[in-house]
Amino acid sequence: MLLVQQVLNGLLLGGIYVGVAVAFTLTIGILNFLNFTIPVLFMLAGMVGWSLSVYGLPFGLSDPLGWAPSLAIGILCAIGASLLVERFTYRYFKAKHGDATEHAIPLVSSLGFLLIFEYLVLIAHGSDSQAFRTPFADLNWRVAGLIISIPQVISLAVSLGIVAGLSLLLTRSRIGRALRATAENPDAATLMGVEVNRIVPVVFVLTGLLCGLAGALFAVNYGEVSPYMGDNVGTKAIAGMVIGGLGSVWGAIAGGLIVGLTETLSIHFFGATSVQISVWGLLLVLLLLRPQGLFGHNAIGKGKF
Amino acid sequence: MQLEVAGLDVRYGANHAVRSVDLSVAPGEIVTVLGANGAGKSTLLRAIAGATPISGGTITFEGKQVQSRNTATRVKSGISLVPEGRQIFVSLTVEENLLMGAYTQTGATTHRDVERIFQRFPNLAARRHSAASVLSGGEQQMLAIGRAMLARPKLMMLDEPSLGLSPILVEQLFELIAELNSNGLSILLVEQNTHMALQMASRGYVLELGEVKAEGTAQQLADDPRLAEAYLGAQDAA
Ligand SMILES: Nc1ncnc2c1ncn2[C@@H]1O[C@H](COP(=O)(O)OP(=O)(O)OP(=O)(O)O)[C@@H](O)[C@H]1O
Ligand SMILES: [Mg+2]
Repeated sequence: MLLVQQVLNGLLLGGIYVGVAVAFTLTIGILNFLNFTIPVLFMLAGMVGWSLSVYGLPFGLSDPLGWAPSLAIGILCAIGASLLVERFTYRYFKAKHGDATEHAIPLVSSLGFLLIFEYLVLIAHGSDSQAFRTPFADLNWRVAGLIISIPQVISLAVSLGIVAGLSLLLTRSRIGRALRATAENPDAATLMGVEVNRIVPVVFVLTGLLCGLAGALFAVNYGEVSPYMGDNVGTKAIAGMVIGGLGSVWGAIAGGLIVGLTETLSIHFFGATSVQISVWGLLLVLLLLRPQGLFGHNAIGKGKF
Repeated sequence: MQLEVAGLDVRYGANHAVRSVDLSVAPGEIVTVLGANGAGKSTLLRAIAGATPISGGTITFEGKQVQSRNTATRVKSGISLVPEGRQIFVSLTVEENLLMGAYTQTGATTHRDVERIFQRFPNLAARRHSAASVLSGGEQQMLAIGRAMLARPKLMMLDEPSLGLSPILVEQLFELIAELNSNGLSILLVEQNTHMALQMASRGYVLELGEVKAEGTAQQLADDPRLAEAYLGAQDAA
């Protein structure tokens, strides 16, 4: 029974990783760009949400907001921050140097943004973890000796729903087609009349939305936020993305869930200190057997969706 | 004139790839641009399409200067380029490739236009939901042209469309171009296959190291012994 419980917890934790892993895989698949600010977007949604729910708007403009509007604004902040990164890393260097992806500059500057955002939050709120309270945090559903946390089930459903919607957007809509065409061949997409400078921000909005939502779900489920909350989730999400296959949306979903499962099962069998070894060990073994990941293609940039 | 290019300059750093080129295309005309490898033919077409930045000169399309407009605007105003090497999207399906061609078309007619292309190219229709990567070279060229047609162009520029096709397919390709032209579409054609190009075009330009070295009617170019030796013959022998 305990084992089943751990499997369940693993899937629910994996649901959080899925959102972040899909955000990573989108920017890699479409822009060929490893966006290091992703973990901090996750953190921003949680910390801004917490701060608003405790202090309200800055300068005493209002009373503390409820948990839901606070988190909603937190998610908007993550989207805004993501667009800022697009403007000053990706677009700026692309305009200056042609193809931004040929350079390490966007990667390094996104790392810079990661640290700047993280330290801004540290200066504002210090490094302590903060409790995030929602009225239904302790709602459980007990079935056959299992404790199923209702917020967690809802958030798993929400993250999978968002990702399924994203997949539909990519395969069915005009803008999704344009994104995939741009991913494969930006030059040919331009010749079709796609304005690449306008379509790239869409990727960053989706990135901000996915990470912000994951951050909000994390805050609700685990009742705790901190300026460092993105670091662990970010690295696990990268592991999940690589396990699933770079650039594959369905791969990122599978990978995120697998990492969540590995984590809780590893704690169950070998104790808390074994988590990193199990996750990264699994990743290395898998890469030896299947370098392209579970759902990946050998040619990155081709047939990803 | 439908298209007027005047004093066009393109530089890639120190490489002056297109030098002060003047060129024009009348409505409904077929004009060809010839020249050896590296002469600047593709660069010229890409500059007209807005896909390669220019460093000087003007491009006038239907009376409006477009050189400072982006590619999307030029596609909307009726200039389409079928690029060198086809550049179809192999990770998209055949139908999605066509829909990408109609990207700038906001009207409700897109669906009908796509069906019309499928009627014209039954080979493509049979594979409409397959990845475009399964198409043969000839089918890929048809797809590239069909895709360009979906933008409803008034001027279609084709960059070496016959490259890599068997003689029969080249024949079919040129028939298709002639047919499109007979429906009123202007054509600016870059070709290695100079015989065929001069046969079908009314006028032509010969580029050498980015400069127009000769221009005239197709007949004049075909009869010019110097050109035959320097560019045209050499190309045919290759
Ligand atoms: N993207 C680029 N960057 C730098 N130089 C380029 C680029 N594209 C073309 N060139 C250079 O510009 C010149 C003209 O090239 P272009 O491709 O226009 O020639 P072309 O006439 O189309 O040749 P081909 O018959 O081989 O297709 C060449 O010297 C080429 O090396
Ligand atoms: Mg060329």
